[in-house]
Amino acid sequence: MNLRENWRIVLLCVFVLASAVALFAPMAMGDGGSGLQYGLELSGGTSIRAPLIGMTAENVNVSQNVDNENRVRAAIASDLNVSERDVNFRTQERAVEVYSKNVTKGELASALSQQGLDVSQDDVRRGVTQQTREDVVSILDEKVNQAGLTGGGARLTTSGTGKHFVVIEVPNQNRTEVLNIVQDRGQVEMVAHFPDGNGSYREVSLLTNEDFVNIGSAQPAGGNQPNPFVSVALTDEAAGNYSAAMQEFGFTSREGIANCPTGTARQDPDNASGYCLYTVQDGKVVYAAQMSQGLAQEMESGDFVNDPSFIITAQNMSEAQQLSINLKAGALPTELAIEENGTTYYLEPSLAQEFKLFSVIAALAAWMAVSLVVFIRYGSPRVAVPMLGTAAAEVFLLLGFASVVGLALDLSHIAGFIAVIGTGVDDLIIIADEILQQGDVATGRVFQNRFRKAFWVIGAAAATTIIAMSPLTVLSLGDLTGFAIVTIVGVLLGVLVTRPAYGDILRHLMLSEQQRQE
Amino acid sequence: MSVTDLPDRLPEIDYTKYTNRQLAAIPLAVLGVSLLILAGWYVMNGVPVSLGIVFTGGTEVQIVANDSPSEIESNLDFQVDSVQPVRGSDRYIVTTQSTNTDQIEQSIDSAGYEEISKSETAASFGADSVQLALMGVAVAFVGMSLIVFVLFRTFVPSIAVVISAFSDIVIPVALMNVFGIKLSLGTVAALLMLIGYSVDSDILLNNHILRRRGGFYESTYRAMRTGVTMTLTSISAMAVMTITAFLLGIPLLPEIGIILVFGLTADLMNTYLLNLSLLRWYKYEGIKR
Repeated sequence: MNLRENWRIVLLCVFVLASAVALFAPMAMGDGGSGLQYGLELSGGTSIRAPLIGMTAENVNVSQNVDNENRVRAAIASDLNVSERDVNFRTQERAVEVYSKNVTKGELASALSQQGLDVSQDDVRRGVTQQTREDVVSILDEKVNQAGLTGGGARLTTSGTGKHFVVIEVPNQNRTEVLNIVQDRGQVEMVAHFPDGNGSYREVSLLTNEDFVNIGSAQPAGGNQPNPFVSVALTDEAAGNYSAAMQEFGFTSREGIANCPTGTARQDPDNASGYCLYTVQDGKVVYAAQMSQGLAQEMESGDFVNDPSFIITAQNMSEAQQLSINLKAGALPTELAIEENGTTYYLEPSLAQEFKLFSVIAALAAWMAVSLVVFIRYGSPRVAVPMLGTAAAEVFLLLGFASVVGLALDLSHIAGFIAVIGTGVDDLIIIADEILQQGDVATGRVFQNRFRKAFWVIGAAAATTIIAMSPLTVLSLGDLTGFAIVTIVGVLLGVLVTRPAYGDILRHLMLSEQQRQE
Repeated sequence: MSVTDLPDRLPEIDYTKYTNRQLAAIPLAVLGVSLLILAGWYVMNGVPVSLGIVFTGGTEVQIVANDSPSEIESNLDFQVDSVQPVRGSDRYIVTTQSTNTDQIEQSIDSAGYEEISKSETAASFGADSVQLALMGVAVAFVGMSLIVFVLFRTFVPSIAVVISAFSDIVIPVALMNVFGIKLSLGTVAALLMLIGYSVDSDILLNNHILRRRGGFYESTYRAMRTGVTMTLTSISAMAVMTITAFLLGIPLLPEIGIILVFGLTADLMNTYLLNLSLLRWYKYEGIKR
C-alpha cells in the first residue's frame, strides 16, 4: 500500500482522528463530558423569542441641541400620552423612537409635526433601530449572566420576512424564572416624597440606573441590617445633585430625619406622611426608607459627596437580587413583545436527559435496520461491513464538526444525523454496485472509470439535497436551521471524504481476492 | 463466494408486458386522488393541510398526570384542543389555541398536574411561519428542478424527474390529512428532505438509461437493482427510527420519519412506473419526433 494511491483512505483516517481529538480531548483534559454542547431540547431550559415593542420615525431632522431636545421630547411624550422615557432621539440615525404599543403611526407622525419635525406617515415603521436592538441584547445578556444563569444568553435573529427578534436561551431554568429577569425593563429610581410646605406633598425622582456605580451583590439580612440589601455608590455628579436635593427638600433637617412610616408608606406611597425615600422599580414602589441620622450628617458635612456610597434595602432577598441585577445590567430601553408576537419554549431538564439517551437509541436502531438490509442485499460481509463502517464514520465526522464549531446539539440535529446515515448508505450502495460489476478492476483505468461514473450520480444527488436544504439555513424557522446545516455538512463530508474512501477500500478488497484466487 | 458474484434477490419485472399508459396510470391515479384530498381539505377547512400550533399560534404543554385524557380535558379550565398520551409514561401532551400563559399555568397547577415542557407561539408569529415554510418548500423545489434540467439538458427526462418529485411530496401531504398529522416544523423539514432524497433514484434511473451503453431494459434492470436497494434501505432506516422514537416518546423524530416513509414509498412507485414510462416513451418515440 502506498500513500499516494490511497490518499482517499488516508484523508478519511485523518478526519476521523481529528474528530476523535475534538470529541475526546475535553474529556481527557478533565473538563468532564465530551466536546459536544447540547441545546435546550437536549439539556432542558427555557427559550424566549420575541420582537421589541416600539416604532421608529426615520429621516427626522433631530436637533443636536440637548436642552432643546429634552423639551421637544417631553412635548412629544405628553402628546402621545407616554412616559418621557419612552421617547428616544437617535441623532446619528436621524430617527425618533417611541417604545409603546398604544401609539399608531399617524399619531407619532402628527406629534412630531407639531414640534416642527416634518415626517410623513410613510417614514414611520414598526420596530426599533439596530442600535436599540443591540443595546437590548447586551443588557439582556448581562442580566442573564448577573442572575447566575450559566450558559444562558441573548442574541438577535432576523426572520426570512425581515423581522427582527431577540432570542433569549437559558438552560436549566423554567419560564417564570427567566421571564422575571427579562420581561420588565428593570428601571430603578430613587424618589423623594416630602411635604412641600403648603400642606401637600411633592414627589421628585432623584436617581436612576445610570447614576449608580460599584453595585454589590444582594446581601442577606444580618448584623446591623434587619433586611436584605445591595450596597451601591453614586457617580460624582449624581452624588452632588442628590446630596443638594436632600438638603434642599429638608430630609437632613431635624424634622426630616427618621420621619417616614415605612410600613404604610410602601403599601400606599402616594398618601404617606413625612419624609420618605422610595425605591421604585418599573414604576412600582418596592421599598420605602427614611433618612438615617448618620447619612444626614454626612450629607450636611460634605463627606457624602466625597464618598457617595450607601445601601439600598429591599423587602426580601429575591427583590434585593432583582435590584442588584437591574442596577448592574442597566435598564432596557424597551420591552419584549412576548405576549403579542413571541414564542416561548420550556423543557424540564430531566426529560431532556431522557431525550438525549433515547435519541441515541433511535439512531442506533436506524443504523441496525440499514445493516440488516445491506446484509440481505449483499450477503457478503466483505462488502457490507466496510459500508456500515463508512456510514458510521460519517456520523462520527459530523459529531466532530459539531464539536469544533461549537454547535449546540438539538433534536433537529439528531434527525439530521439520521438523514445523513440514510443518504450516505444510498451513495455507498451506488459505489458498490458500480465498482463490483463483472470484470477486472485490477487496472487503475477501469477502476477510475467506474468510480467516476458512480460519482456523477452521487454528485448530482448531493447537489439536489444541498439545494433543497439551503432555504432552511437562511429562513428563520425555529429548529430547522440546525437540521439543514447538519444535513448539508453531512452530505459535503460524505461526498468529499468518506464515500470516495469507501471506493478505495472496495478496490483493495477485490484486489486481494483476485490475488488469492491466482 | 466472491464479492463480484452478487446474488440477485430482486424479482425482475417484465416491463415489456405493459404499455406506457398502463404503467403511468397507477401513479397518476394516486397523484390525482391525493390532489383531490388536498382540494377537498382546502374547501372544507380553508387550508390544504391542517396546521400545527407552530403555524396557528397556541400553546403545547406536556404534563405529568394520572388521569385519563378526558378527565384531563375537563379538569383544565382553558379551551383544550387535544390531549395525547406519550407512550410508555404518564405524560400527556396538551395543545390549545390559547396563549394566555398565566391562565394555562394556573389551571394546570390547580388541577394538580406537573408541567414538564411548554412551547408557546403567538398567532401572528405563526402566520409568518406558514409563509416562510411555503416559501422554503417552493424555493427548494424550484432549485431542485433547475439542477435536474442542468444535469440532463433534455426536456422529457428532466420533467419526468420533476413530476415524480412533485408527486413524492403531494402524496405524503395528502396522507398527513388521512392520518391526522398536522403540519409542523418537523414535517416541513421532512418534506424538504424528500425533495432532495426522492430524486436520487430518479437521477440514477435517468443516468443509466440515457448516459450508459446497453439496451433500455438492461439499463433499467441495473438501475433498479441499485435504486430499489437504496430506497428500501432508507425506508427501513426511517421506519425503524419512527417506531423507536414514537415508543420512546421523543418529539420531532417520529414526524420527520413517518413523512419520509410515506414519501420514499411513493417514490418507489413514481420512479419505476411514472418516470420509467416517460423515459421509455422518450427513448422509443420521443427522440424520433
